[in-house]
Amino acid sequence: MSDTTPSAPSQIAALDAEALSLESVSLWRITWKRLFRRKSSLVGMGIILLLVFIAIMAPWLAPYDPLQVLIGIEDVKMRQAPCIHLLGCPPDQPQHLMGIDGNVRDQFSRLLYGTRLSLMVGFSTVTFAIVIGTVLGALGGYFGGWLDNAIMRVMDVLLAFPSLLLAIAIVTVLGPGLINALLAIGIVSIPAYARVVRASVLSIREMDYVSASRALGGSTAHILFGRILPNALTPLIVQGTLGIATAILDAAALSFLGLGAQPPTPEWGSMLGAERNQVFTAPHLVFFPGFAIMLTVLAFNLLGDGLRDALDPRLAHVSK
Amino acid sequence: MKRSLYALLSLFVLAGLVLAACGGGAATPAPAEPTQAPEQPTEPTPVPDIPIATFDGKSLVVPKEECNGDYAGLFQAIEAVDDYTVKFTLCRPDPAFLSKIAFSPFAIYPSEWLERTAADGKRTSEGLEKPVGTGPYKISEWKRGESVTFKAFENYWGQKPFAETLVIRWQSEAAGRLLELQAGTVDGIDNVGPSDFEVVKKDPNLVLVERPALNIFYIGMTNTFKPWDDVRVRKAIAYGIDRQRIVKNFYPAGSEVATHFTPCSIPNGCVGDPWYDFNPEEGRKLLAEAGFPNGFKTKLYYRDVVRGYLPQVANVAQDVQAQLKENLNIEAEIVVMESGAFIEASTTGKLDGLYFLGWGADYPHITNFLDFHFGASNPQFGNPFPEIYEQLVKGAQIADPKQAEPFYVAANNAIRELVPMVPVAHGGSGTAYRADVTNPQASPLTNEQFAVSDPGGRDVFIFMQNAEPISLFCADETDGESLRACDQVMEALYGYEVNGTAVVPVLAESCEPNADLTVWTCTLRKGVKFHDGTDFTSADVVATFNMGLNIAAPTHAGNTGVWEYYDYLWGLMKKPGK
Repeated sequence: MSDTTPSAPSQIAALDAEALSLESVSLWRITWKRLFRRKSSLVGMGIILLLVFIAIMAPWLAPYDPLQVLIGIEDVKMRQAPCIHLLGCPPDQPQHLMGIDGNVRDQFSRLLYGTRLSLMVGFSTVTFAIVIGTVLGALGGYFGGWLDNAIMRVMDVLLAFPSLLLAIAIVTVLGPGLINALLAIGIVSIPAYARVVRASVLSIREMDYVSASRALGGSTAHILFGRILPNALTPLIVQGTLGIATAILDAAALSFLGLGAQPPTPEWGSMLGAERNQVFTAPHLVFFPGFAIMLTVLAFNLLGDGLRDALDPRLAHVSK
Repeated sequence: MKRSLYALLSLFVLAGLVLAACGGGAATPAPAEPTQAPEQPTEPTPVPDIPIATFDGKSLVVPKEECNGDYAGLFQAIEAVDDYTVKFTLCRPDPAFLSKIAFSPFAIYPSEWLERTAADGKRTSEGLEKPVGTGPYKISEWKRGESVTFKAFENYWGQKPFAETLVIRWQSEAAGRLLELQAGTVDGIDNVGPSDFEVVKKDPNLVLVERPALNIFYIGMTNTFKPWDDVRVRKAIAYGIDRQRIVKNFYPAGSEVATHFTPCSIPNGCVGDPWYDFNPEEGRKLLAEAGFPNGFKTKLYYRDVVRGYLPQVANVAQDVQAQLKENLNIEAEIVVMESGAFIEASTTGKLDGLYFLGWGADYPHITNFLDFHFGASNPQFGNPFPEIYEQLVKGAQIADPKQAEPFYVAANNAIRELVPMVPVAHGGSGTAYRADVTNPQASPLTNEQFAVSDPGGRDVFIFMQNAEPISLFCADETDGESLRACDQVMEALYGYEVNGTAVVPVLAESCEPNADLTVWTCTLRKGVKFHDGTDFTSADVVATFNMGLNIAAPTHAGNTGVWEYYDYLWGLMKKPGK
């Protein structure tokens, strides 16, 4: 047993940490409670969990290699309709749940692998945009003055362009390809996050506990990243969740236009674009990728809406 | 003050973004420079070409000695002997003279109209949009972005059109065209989508007309880039691609695997040994001999444009990519280029990988296929092959296909041995019409004559093609959509039979050659009137060729100013500036 008595400042720090931890736990608990009370956000979460599961398990779930051309391997025809044994497709025919695409590949396997790509696009571009946007917004909001003006005017310039048009312009400059498309979508997403963070920082930096930290001699970095930013996360989470949906849509649009994922990569937008002319002759090739995009975007939008309501204290009475 | 500074800063950032978008890079990777290309000095100031022709209203003449000098053109003189006789004197024999002269860009305009619609080196908007010809229809109205309307020409010398009004509309998507036809809003459509062939066949209200495959789709390689400078690598590609699989899966009925570069329906097109059979083992062996036992990485360039010779370009590209990997362990990255940039880069030999290109017949003669691609001056496949072009020069001077055959056998065999490209397919395509349309056409040369089709007794015949014409001054246009519209209005001395390739007299009653095929004398049809009411005479023929060939003529004013077909098929009357 130690007989050392803790010093007064360390005791205060420990208490401070405990109080913060308690506050944080209770905040998240309240958020979860509110979130779980909303059926729509539960549906969104459920779909996202399913999509994540599919993305991780794609190699085991997919019956075929998504790049495998089945000419000479199976007796299937280009753009063949789905063949599901349970629904009466003859057992001697190979089963293809979503049919065969224009290059005689299994559409179902490509769709499953496409989930990986879409989620990767959503998460990576939003992470990229959040990191850059948060740093820029926090610096601008905290320091103000010429730095704030310079950063926000650049953001205004970026916001002046329609986001998809700017993404197309960036990919046109960089050249088509998935990585460049990710970069483009990430860049056009930055201003939204920078503005959200700046607005939060502007209001939080004037609060008493921040002034107290400053009075106690806390460094700028400590105050900004240890005191202000953790309390500015709420709107960022909401914006980020909704931003994933937008990023997935933008990536699909770029791939549809041939500027994103390049063949033979299985990507929903490019799958849709490649078969757009077959909408009457092979509607399954357009329907399934389109439905997958819609479902994913819907799921993130539902979750984003739910999070917004759950994290907004002003809506607490509504979500009871 | 501060606010102004920040506004200025914003403007700079905006300008920077715009500049970066405009000039910071290319949409597609810039093709690499050839391995053997010499260092390019600073580009010299271009010296203008020197005109060499004289025109006096009745004759267009190049000094005879120029035929043996720097003048590369074919015509030495075009003279109006009398009102209804024109004499064409050539620098050298041309057995394809009639086939060429029947081609749409060489249609005859009235001489006064040519003068009236040329101003300051440009054709006026009237000249570009309302050409005056002798055809069964005359232009009524061109609603830009929507349709071109034609009205029957009351004084037409031949059979009157069945429909009083002809409308040409356009739609780039095959599915959209078919939908319009099924809805009955159009009477006929061009280029039925390959997967829609069965749909049209099964529909009792529609009729499908398959277009004979008078084209070639090939995979090109440029021998000034590594590894394509090694014939063993080029041959490996020839062995390693299953062309039958491509045609079977991605081409409509009526298409065929290419045994030779030129379609077999053209005389001497298919003489000589047929192309290599699919043999991936032999391909891998050749690659190993060339130092690539484990394959290599390359690029596969194409433009995402549907053509009769390549109806499903993206699908074929992905299949070739898969085949190269599977059969030869070659990893090909697909690069889709903008159409104009792709044509420029491929035809000037600037693509360092494999590329997809094709050719549709302008006129049904073997010179239209072989001479253009494998001639001594074409850099498309890199350094030209004398083994090929020397045979072509000899063959092109003989009118009788039988006599010319040995030269084309040698040329085709040399192409097979040297593999500048891999011929893949002669692509069939098709048109579709409402079932009550009589004489439904799908011309092998894509020059359907709608005047001879009756749209079920209706007054208006509506045809939907892929795209809007660029202009209707077709002497200076090359795209099929413009030429088809012009074909309804304009006529040349000869034409092609409806739905066929045989040449038939149109504005000429006949054109007879002398013994060595260097002089062609054409007797013109009498009583023919232009849409503006003027009479057609030999002076109009000379004036039209003066407009197209004589670079010094005030009427030498077009739309693009390139005069591609006049230059490529006849040669403009000029010599290069020193």
